[in-house]
Amino acid sequence: MKRNIFIIGVMVLICSFSFVFITGCAKTPETQIMKDTAVTQADTQKAEEAAEAAALAAEKAALDEKKLRDKLLAEADSFQDIKFAFDKYDLSAEARGVLSKLADWLNLHQDFEVTIEGHCDERGTTEYNLALGERRAEAAKAYLVTLGVDKMKITTISYGEEMPVDPASNEAAWSKNRRDHLVVFSK
Amino acid sequence: MRILKGLLVVFFTLFLCLPAWGKVYIDIDSPAFQKFPTAIPDLRNIGKGGDREGLARWFSEHLASALDITGYFRIIEKGAFLEDPKSSGITAEETNFSDWSVVGADFLIKGGFNYDGKKLSVEFRLFDVVGGKLITGKKYWGSIKEKKMMMLRFVGDVLQALTGERGVFDTKIAFVGKKGDQSEIYTVNFDGTDLQKITNFKSLTLLPHWSPDATKISLTSYLRKNPDYYVVDLRTGKVKRRTDYVGLNLSAPWSPDGKKALLVLSKDGNEEVYTIDSNKGTLKRLTRDSSIDVSPCWSPDGKQIAFVSNRSGSPQVFIMDANGKNIRRLTFDGSYNTSPDWSPTGKRLVYEGSSNGEFQLFTIDANGNNSLQVTFERGGAEDPSWSPDGRYLVFSSKIGQKRKICIVNSNGLNLRILDEIKGIDSLESPSWSPHLNLY
Repeated sequence: MKRNIFIIGVMVLICSFSFVFITGCAKTPETQIMKDTAVTQADTQKAEEAAEAAALAAEKAALDEKKLRDKLLAEADSFQDIKFAFDKYDLSAEARGVLSKLADWLNLHQDFEVTIEGHCDERGTTEYNLALGERRAEAAKAYLVTLGVDKMKITTISYGEEMPVDPASNEAAWSKNRRDHLVVFSK
Repeated sequence: MRILKGLLVVFFTLFLCLPAWGKVYIDIDSPAFQKFPTAIPDLRNIGKGGDREGLARWFSEHLASALDITGYFRIIEKGAFLEDPKSSGITAEETNFSDWSVVGADFLIKGGFNYDGKKLSVEFRLFDVVGGKLITGKKYWGSIKEKKMMMLRFVGDVLQALTGERGVFDTKIAFVGKKGDQSEIYTVNFDGTDLQKITNFKSLTLLPHWSPDATKISLTSYLRKNPDYYVVDLRTGKVKRRTDYVGLNLSAPWSPDGKKALLVLSKDGNEEVYTIDSNKGTLKRLTRDSSIDVSPCWSPDGKQIAFVSNRSGSPQVFIMDANGKNIRRLTFDGSYNTSPDWSPTGKRLVYEGSSNGEFQLFTIDANGNNSLQVTFERGGAEDPSWSPDGRYLVFSSKIGQKRKICIVNSNGLNLRILDEIKGIDSLESPSWSPHLNLY
């Protein structure tokens, strides 16, 4: 919401200047638009300068906005993968811990959404693992919803055993691969 | 895809088989089966021209390698032969069978060819060395380009005479070739030739299944982010997206009559088995259970469906009637049994089960009796599929860091590993085609 208000503000500002450009002059924007009606060369120049300044300001604001978003995304990136036991999709205490932090964060930053990717280790068949990965993603989604996250902001996708983080065939690799990967993104 | 159904090769049976050979020569499914020790000398040039093409040797070597691939023949080294192929004849009367039994051959294939630079004619004869008798003989006429077809047709005749089936040289195997997070569908002939790339989606593409007329392959692809269900027409190359419901749209085998296909959808909240009408696309839901239900396959008569469910706690193979009723559990041993495929003979099913921490293939009677482990591969064995004659199994095995496509006789013997594909890391999920009637 904050972001929207800001964008509307910037747009009003830009519109105001175009308005001034056509209809009148302005020394300082916003307040004088309605008062002044005379058009002079000097005023036009001033308006141009002001418009330039505003554009710069908008650019800077957009940059700040992007920085803020990147900072938040970096923050969101720190939500670790949730791990699962072999052929299981129930959430461990640790998994619940990660998810409740994510829920708090999503509830605080309403402009962001999450995709939960369910993954499996290589053992077992493609089909069963696609189903298992779906269950793992859905389990995390259900928990997030109980913590107040809008379900419309959660998408799930299963990649089964197809995208391991570690392709080795040992328990160390398998335990890394049995995971929900949380991808936060802004709308 | 080329379908060489209307053969340009003319052939006829030179000699009638003796009545006794009308039956299966030896039961190759018997546990006591020993490979047929077979001698194949170079063919004889019976024409007037020279043999600049090296046909004498080409035919003997290709016959030997084709028969070797079947897993039923032990080809005897040519160096051991006593008879000089250049001076000896190619009929029973002109053959000294004791020369062949001495080198250990039970069977002998002789032949002659005539190539005048334009037309090629080839005749082959299969002899029973012990009985000193002709089993079958054929003569083919055609162009030199058709020499492989002639050779494989006679291989089919040999297999028919000795095993009761023509073999599967007219079949292909579809599989998934993976590199990183992307995969495509490929096909290759049973003998490992004619590799073809079927899809070029540059996405994750999985689960190929042949239509019963072998003109289409269904698959699941993440082409549009979601795992959707597609059908590729192999004749036109056209790709059609059939279902794109939220969640899984998993490709599964077509019904034996091709009128519908099995499909797994999770649109209703969890994975359920459906059928989809091949023309109208109408869906029919077969399973109703909150557990995972996946990997369905038909019995060869289309009356029953085997599938995997974890409704009893761990993944196990179940069987239901084709209408979704009468569900009963098939596998009870072990805590992880998946990926069933019903033998074309209908008697047994193959599945992948966990054995001492790794996956191997097992077969089991359709009534749940006589479960038997058939593979003992170091790299495990997954995703089995039967050949259309029920005599071979294809599966994937992790050899080193790469999954490869392996073929064994249905008793688990005679492992053959298909070649790697350059630039592809992993070959998975093989699916055996029906007969294509190429030869």
